[in-house]
Amino acid sequence: MDHLDQLESKSIYIIREAYYRFKDIAMLWSVGKDSTTLLWLCRKAFFGKVPFPIIHIDTGYKFPEMYEFRDRLAREWGLNLIVGRNEEKIKEGMGPFKGSKLECCTELKTNALKQVIAKYGLKAILLGIRRDEHGIRAKERYFSPRDTQFKWNYEDQPAEIWDQYKSKVEEEEHFRIHPLLHFTELDVWEYVKRENIPIVELYFAKDGKRFRSIGCVPCCSPIESNASSVDEIIEELKISKTPERAGRAQDKEDTYTMQKLRALGYM
Amino acid sequence: MEGKKVLVVGIDGVPYTLVGEYVERGYMPHLKAILEEGYKLHQMDASLPDISSVSWTTFLTGVNPAEHSIYGFIHLDRRDYSLRFPNSGNVMAPTFFQILGLDTAGKSSSLANKYLPRFKEPRTSIVVNVPHTYPAYPMNGVLVSGFVALDLARAVYPPVLASTLKRMGYVIDVDPSKGHRDRAGFLEDLFHALDKRREAFDLFFKGKWDLFVACITETDRLHHFFFDAALDEAHPYHGAFVDFYKKLDDLVGHFYDMFLERHGGQGFFMILSDHGFATLRKEVNINRFLEEAGFLKLKEEGERYERIALGTKAFALDPCRVYLHYKDQYPLGEVGEGEAESHLEELTDLFRNLRNDDGSPIIRAIYRKEEIYQGPFLDDAPDLLCLPVDGYDLKGRIGAGTVFADSVFAGMHNQHDAMLILPEEKDFGDKPQIGDLAGLLLDHFCGEDL
Repeated sequence: MDHLDQLESKSIYIIREAYYRFKDIAMLWSVGKDSTTLLWLCRKAFFGKVPFPIIHIDTGYKFPEMYEFRDRLAREWGLNLIVGRNEEKIKEGMGPFKGSKLECCTELKTNALKQVIAKYGLKAILLGIRRDEHGIRAKERYFSPRDTQFKWNYEDQPAEIWDQYKSKVEEEEHFRIHPLLHFTELDVWEYVKRENIPIVELYFAKDGKRFRSIGCVPCCSPIESNASSVDEIIEELKISKTPERAGRAQDKEDTYTMQKLRALGYM
Repeated sequence: MEGKKVLVVGIDGVPYTLVGEYVERGYMPHLKAILEEGYKLHQMDASLPDISSVSWTTFLTGVNPAEHSIYGFIHLDRRDYSLRFPNSGNVMAPTFFQILGLDTAGKSSSLANKYLPRFKEPRTSIVVNVPHTYPAYPMNGVLVSGFVALDLARAVYPPVLASTLKRMGYVIDVDPSKGHRDRAGFLEDLFHALDKRREAFDLFFKGKWDLFVACITETDRLHHFFFDAALDEAHPYHGAFVDFYKKLDDLVGHFYDMFLERHGGQGFFMILSDHGFATLRKEVNINRFLEEAGFLKLKEEGERYERIALGTKAFALDPCRVYLHYKDQYPLGEVGEGEAESHLEELTDLFRNLRNDDGSPIIRAIYRKEEIYQGPFLDDAPDLLCLPVDGYDLKGRIGAGTVFADSVFAGMHNQHDAMLILPEEKDFGDKPQIGDLAGLLLDHFCGEDL
């Protein structure tokens, strides 16, 4: 087995194991390259037909290309797509420019996901996070309980919670499962190339810029790049020294920390 | 094991000078009584720089920043100029309570090497609300993290106690942004948070422990927003400020009495602050100063330090940690080893000549990193560290329009006026340093196991 085969079979094993252990399971699909790769692996794990719902949390601020891509794939792959939106807050006009970015993420992502979990009684969520994505994800595990009621082994817990969607543990009882944890950014692109996985065009350079990581329009900025194909991205990554998330607004805990420090006059 | 006991009360940002004055004025009767019972109030030096995360970490580990690796609330990632926020996981030296618990989580330090061999039995500690202990980590006892603790679920070890604290309505931190919007409401929050600290200390006090560290951080918040009210009787918040200190005094008296009662009048009691405070006159934007002097070039794109452009020779992180922009360390760096000395000399001259309108100096001390730090993390240290004259708050803000600016805050930290209360027989001779105290506490337990 070559390197990509090994990565793939490990992921598929975890996906099947997760489905076996939790029938009330769903996959979170941000429409980015990682979760689209995870979606591809879920299809492979179950021979083309994903047996559980696919959740997309829609903040209303995603790139138009992402909505178009999501709907097209949902149709072509026969997905049971659940779109989660915190309608109440969206109607109130919540956005990164109203209040803080943190508040916006909490309402439109965390709380929207909470609502979906509650509504569908989900016990486990598959996510496409990778260990190399961010320093604080380094200690994340494949199966990660998110409730003190589950006997968590504190010493094995991550030193930092990685999770953009993190909610109060007391209120939420579910497992988070990370079948892509062992992929690196480069692995993902090499796998995308081998499998010819469809990817949102925002990742490919136009006018000298491309997105290396995508999410909501106001919180993402493109990087300077001329890589306009998967091959060129792979070449670029092999020489890049800049972290992947450099183009994104700070992660959630950092944002919160920064706000606290700023309120006391630091920075 | 029923052996020696230690109670430490930490009060963030309380200055020696103000405590002396308030005791004198009769605002702090319990403290006055303690001082009359054989304790002495000392003026103490905080860490360099006098930032809470650095000072408390220095207190807890008993080693300097080049050994524990914490130099500030923010750390710059040299690979891409992004900001990092160090937390308890980044502290590279064990704390004295880890040493006493005989489990240093694989960390070592000069202090641990000295004291670990002297203890045979693990001792239990309860440590509540000390800054820079988040996320809470396994230790022999109870750890409730302080600032910047974001999520109660991760701020408590053992984690099962989080629900107890939640039920009692424990306040992990006040919201400092409220201080800008609603001053009266913010003050109420501070009083409420102090009540909740006391409740939590009471709860844990009943348990079994050898060392108890109880920290109050609301004082620091009070000072940032209201320090000008401390001695100004005409200030609309003077009464509230004094009331806060009276409430603090009551808390200190309460725990001191309980401590002595419980241990038959025996035990080692200590109060300390992590830095002093002074009334703020002006903020001084060091990066603007470096820009005007030609050391720092900024581009329009990017946020904060990502704006550093080609041609930059030096920049500063809060409060005045000045780093040379070395070419072998930063993507756009251009300072070669051979040029460092002349840049440092030029910067030293510039800082020495930084003056207020009336010609008085702004900077009272300038240190080279080798003078003040020793240890394996010396590479992370600023090349120069400046301390201001009281009144001038040095800031690392990027993109400020002027060097001097008015502030929305009333108070600023200082390094030279932290406070310490110790039994009279513990004599330092010279002025105590916050990093000396861990050794003193560990000494207290020495000899018991032999």
